Amino acid sequence: MADVGSASNRRDPIKSSVGNVAGQRRRQQAVTVAKERRESLVRAKRLCRVGTNGGDDEDARVENEMMIDEEQPVLESQTVKAVEELKSAVQSQGKGAMQKRVTALRELRRLLSKSEFPPIDAALTAGAIPLLVQCLSFGSPDEQLLESAWCLTNIAAGKPEETKALLPALPLLVAHLGEKSSAPVAEQCAWAIGNVAGEGEELRNVLLSQGALPPLARMIFPDKGSTVRTAAWALSNLIKGPESKAAAQLVRVDGIVDAILRHLKKTDEEIATEIAWIVVYLSALSDIATSMLLKGGILQLLVERLATSNSLQLLIPVLRSLGNFVSVDPKAMLTILVGGQNTEDTDIPDQISENVTNVLAKCLRSEHRVLKKEAAWVLSNIAAGSIEHKRMIHSSEAMPLLLRLLSTSPFDIKKEVAYVLGNLCVESAEGGDARPRIIQEHLVSIVSGGCLRGFIDLVRSPDIEAARLGLQFIELVLRGMPNGEGSKLVEGEDGIDAMERFQFHENEELRVMANSLVDKYFGEDYGINE
Amino acid sequence: KQLMAMEITQFLLAAQSADARVRTEAEGSLKQFQEQNLPQFLLSLSFELANNEKPSESRRLAGILLKNSLDAKDSGRKELLVKQWCAIDLALKSQIKELLLRTIGSSVPEARHTSAQVIAKVASIEVPQKQWPELVGSLLSNMTQPESPAHLKQSTLETLGYVCEEISHHDLVQDEVNSVLTAVVQGMNQAANNAEVRLAATKALLNALDFSQTNFENEMERSYIMKMVCETACAKEAVIRQAAFECLVSIASTYYEVLEQYMQTLFELTAKAVKEDEESVALQAVEFWSTICDEEIDRQEYDSPDTGDSSPPHSGFIEKALPHLVPMLLETLEKQEEDQDHEDDVWNISMAGGTCLGLVARTVGDGIVPLVMPFVEVNIRKPNWRSREAATYAFGSILEGPTIDKLAPMVAAGLEFLLTATKDENNHVRDTTAWTLSRIFEFLHTPDSGFSVISPQNLPRIVGVLLESMKDVPNVAEKVCGAIYNLAQGYEDAGASSSLLSPYLTEIIQHLLAAAERTDGPESKLRSASYETLNEVVRCSNLLEASGIIGQLLPVIMVKLGQTMDLQVVSTEDREKQAELQASLCGVLQVIIQKLSSKDETKPIIMQNADQIMMLFLRVFGCHSSSVHEEAMLAIGALAYATGAEFAKYMPELFKYLQTGLQNFEEYQVCSITVGVIGDICRALDDKILPFCDQIMSLLIQNLQSDALHRSVKPPIFSCFGDIALAIGGHFERYVATALQIMQGAAQVCAQMDTLDEELMDYGNQLRRSIFEAYSGILQGFKDAKAELMVPYAQHLLQFVELVSKDSLRDESVTKAAVAAMGDLADVVGEKIKPLFSNFTFCGEFLSECLDSEDEDLKDTARWTQGMIARLMVT
Repeated sequence: MADVGSASNRRDPIKSSVGNVAGQRRRQQAVTVAKERRESLVRAKRLCRVGTNGGDDEDARVENEMMIDEEQPVLESQTVKAVEELKSAVQSQGKGAMQKRVTALRELRRLLSKSEFPPIDAALTAGAIPLLVQCLSFGSPDEQLLESAWCLTNIAAGKPEETKALLPALPLLVAHLGEKSSAPVAEQCAWAIGNVAGEGEELRNVLLSQGALPPLARMIFPDKGSTVRTAAWALSNLIKGPESKAAAQLVRVDGIVDAILRHLKKTDEEIATEIAWIVVYLSALSDIATSMLLKGGILQLLVERLATSNSLQLLIPVLRSLGNFVSVDPKAMLTILVGGQNTEDTDIPDQISENVTNVLAKCLRSEHRVLKKEAAWVLSNIAAGSIEHKRMIHSSEAMPLLLRLLSTSPFDIKKEVAYVLGNLCVESAEGGDARPRIIQEHLVSIVSGGCLRGFIDLVRSPDIEAARLGLQFIELVLRGMPNGEGSKLVEGEDGIDAMERFQFHENEELRVMANSLVDKYFGEDYGINE
Repeated sequence: KQLMAMEITQFLLAAQSADARVRTEAEGSLKQFQEQNLPQFLLSLSFELANNEKPSESRRLAGILLKNSLDAKDSGRKELLVKQWCAIDLALKSQIKELLLRTIGSSVPEARHTSAQVIAKVASIEVPQKQWPELVGSLLSNMTQPESPAHLKQSTLETLGYVCEEISHHDLVQDEVNSVLTAVVQGMNQAANNAEVRLAATKALLNALDFSQTNFENEMERSYIMKMVCETACAKEAVIRQAAFECLVSIASTYYEVLEQYMQTLFELTAKAVKEDEESVALQAVEFWSTICDEEIDRQEYDSPDTGDSSPPHSGFIEKALPHLVPMLLETLEKQEEDQDHEDDVWNISMAGGTCLGLVARTVGDGIVPLVMPFVEVNIRKPNWRSREAATYAFGSILEGPTIDKLAPMVAAGLEFLLTATKDENNHVRDTTAWTLSRIFEFLHTPDSGFSVISPQNLPRIVGVLLESMKDVPNVAEKVCGAIYNLAQGYEDAGASSSLLSPYLTEIIQHLLAAAERTDGPESKLRSASYETLNEVVRCSNLLEASGIIGQLLPVIMVKLGQTMDLQVVSTEDREKQAELQASLCGVLQVIIQKLSSKDETKPIIMQNADQIMMLFLRVFGCHSSSVHEEAMLAIGALAYATGAEFAKYMPELFKYLQTGLQNFEEYQVCSITVGVIGDICRALDDKILPFCDQIMSLLIQNLQSDALHRSVKPPIFSCFGDIALAIGGHFERYVATALQIMQGAAQVCAQMDTLDEELMDYGNQLRRSIFEAYSGILQGFKDAKAELMVPYAQHLLQFVELVSKDSLRDESVTKAAVAAMGDLADVVGEKIKPLFSNFTFCGEFLSECLDSEDEDLKDTARWTQGMIARLMVT
């Protein structure tokens, strides 16, 4: 303070030595580096989702939405970085290179598994596919193959064009399905292929042409394990049609039918579920397969599953398979339903056969719309069978359920139920196009159960098939109800109005049918007798 | 009733005795007196100072002791002294003040001067607290009494100046300011006062200028003050002229906006001073223009980001004065001292002129080039070394500011000439040439952004010339280091071209190591320049190509560091020299460790040597019993990062030095670096740091609570809380109550800070940021286990964030930390504090302000926080 001023107006000369400033700058840099490390550590913690109190699904859902909004850009930039890392890892040689590749792959896989909306696009744009393909090359260590296939699996789970990006990887993925691969590697490859096959016909054809089917099929031969389930799932995706050649190819694989039957017999529901889907497609697409499976006694196995399982996932394909079999070969069902009667190569205990309708009734009662619909569909196929079938259903506990479903359920189920009820009221027309013979007993009880309104609703529906079904049933009522009370009943439910809508309908069949019914039963003479 | 003062003259004289024993004994007695009865001690000192009968030696010491009892450099000590003073009985204090005011009228100049200083110290405590209301009046009456002798007026003005320097202008009411200013300006009146009074008045004005905002807004008052200052700048006496120019410098920076109408006069005045006045006056005249440049550069930098704020007016004074200003400055360049020392603390007219020229170039850019280049071209080949040196200096000075397009052709044309000039016969010319080369590489060698005067073709020649000049005299070699430093730095992150220097690395490093070994220079300047340049060369090298060379450099440096332990240390000076050398070598190790551990391929080199490196650092610590070596500590931080969890094995031995470092309040930078290194170690060890945490936390908490520790260390300590909590997670539970209490206390302190004190606000921002960092670390550390522990503190955290959100002066980094901590709270504690978030309605507004920010980082953080809070509210 003594020398106020004289020293205060001294500034640093422009010409100064490098030493002092540089040292200060270096120390400052060290502090800055530490600061950056702290920030990145906290950042990592903030983004770490594991261990948070995400209990129920609701939480998880909200969290995931958050992820897209808040963290997607971060995730994407991390992904780009991970792909860069992988690139340098793939290029590096020598000691430690392998570990580096695995580390880089693992990081990428972690990012691609991270959220509901993995940063696939970012990975693809950054050029991940060629690198991943390179990591799949023969002779690579299992860990590397596994991580690489895992990354591809998650990429294939993305949007269609993202799935398509796997094309260059498919030959190697297929190659690693073989027996020489370790189980985890083969399974991961199967998973990736399953995702690709699920995308569509075009990619399925590519996979088939590259020989994916036989090794996948052989992967389901063992008795248990996640590999079987994954392979079965992939296989079902591969054969799902609508073209039938894959299904046909599958049946030609030696031992496949045995394997399918064996898995359906075993108790593992998860494997049985995937196998049942294979059965669904086989029974829908391949006659040879259908007959081979029937021969192998598949119906009995399916019914057993139906009776004993509570798993929705399993019941759906089982029901659908059953329906397929019944529609293809109604006689087969007969063998189940009419258990006591011996047929040549099945011997089904009565107990099970009686249970079938009750099991289906259980499905009708279920909360799940899909299950209800599938069950109704199976019942309609059964109801199209012999008089014994019809009697059995008519006397089962399914009847009140069907009547209620006709009035209360959504349209698609309603339609299936209408088929069942309609079929119950007529004898199956064996050849010839004569009008079917009415089973009056069934008709009277069903109509008195209050179903007419439901059918008349169907008449009003824009769905041609449903309308036809409604009209057919009205015809039965008008023709078959005793004492001619049919016309009154139909009129009482506004049936005339419903039919008159068809007077100028564009569909000729329905127009003729409706007009002739109105003419015949409600013509000029109608009401005179009163 | 008057207290009796004690007779202490003997002690005061004895305390200055040449006989050490006598001196020590007297010092002891004085100390004892001070400790036992501070009021009496101070009173006795005041009597001594006031008494004209006493010898001047004892009065001088009395004054110094008084001053030191009221003020200290160390902020903690100062606070204590202020407390002690305030506790003294009012009557006694007024007696002391009375004595002091009486002393400024003494016939003995030294006593007057000393008491003026002491009065200012008392004023610094009492005026802000309104406890000395009569001070200003009493001083002013000295000025207005007709019978006041000149020497009383002189010391009164001196006192007024010191008082103004000590207090803030908010402490005086405008009436007082007006009176003070009137008295001071009248004191400058040449007709009415002698030289001493005028000098004192002019110096007082310098300090009073800060008080004169209102007066400078009024044109009449302003013009009167300016007229008086300009007149004084022409005084007969050089010291008065110098003081007046110092006032003009201060006015240039404080009242730039209102200078327009005086610029013509000011230019003439300064030009005359630069041309023909004594150097001390001429330096201030140059400084006036440098200050104008500072102001205009500030305004230009303030202007460039489109903040939308109304920037302070830019009057373009430099642009307008350019045609006259530049020749005036160029002329100064040829006034070099014959045997100019090349130390950094040399300051003369040619250096000031060159420095100002550099500032002018930064202010006006391209416009300066045509005004300077003819001077360069005419002089650079002249036989007189002064001409050559001035030309080179002028060229080097204008390399920052003008566009590359403008400079590139000239530099390209002149480069070869300069390379040749490194062989000039004159030392000064070679020195400035090397410096100019370093400026060229600093501003015209940025391959990263697409331009460099250096091409693969001329690089070999450049490197060759530089390395040859490394062998020149020390001052030249040192400037060459600067050139290599900038050359290397240009290649940092320069992609493919970063390889260009790789072939020369071995040779460059050899030359730098050789230069560091030289003993022909003064002190250690060349050595530290060589090592810092080596550091930059290593840091900016292309690691894949240089890893081999750096790998070879590592053991060389390790050996050198090992050899420092064997240096003979007899004197304190030896000890300092050893410590300095160790500092340089530890610095190199720090850079090598950081460089090699940045890539997986080269990290093993560090891992293989880690044990030995660590042993060396421990030995360095061992050399200095009283303190911990700062650079070694810094390097240890780098090593911890490199080794990761492996570092645990060094902890048992290292720990005591960490403790010593944390307790080093004197060298607070050491303490601060140690705190930082503990953070590095936390990140390296994670929960393996746990066994040491009790002791570390105790020391950190003690440090925070101590008034003796420099405040700048406190923010890093709070951040360190966060580091520790992140490392040990749920185990932080045992510290949470204490830590949070202190954090809340510190938050309170922030809330009460004087917002007008810029330096204090800067500190306040650091402190607030670090408190938020501590919150974040603790919260995230508790995330998986102990989140509920933070429930009781949630309210405080949100209140603190709210307070900060309402402070418009807060730093962006504080905002970021606050938003992040708020997000952490929502993320970690969640459900239980949901109602709190609904209550704190400021959140939404604060977040949307942050989301509108230009800072991407802040936006990201705010988005994340918004997500965390939204998640909380939705569930």
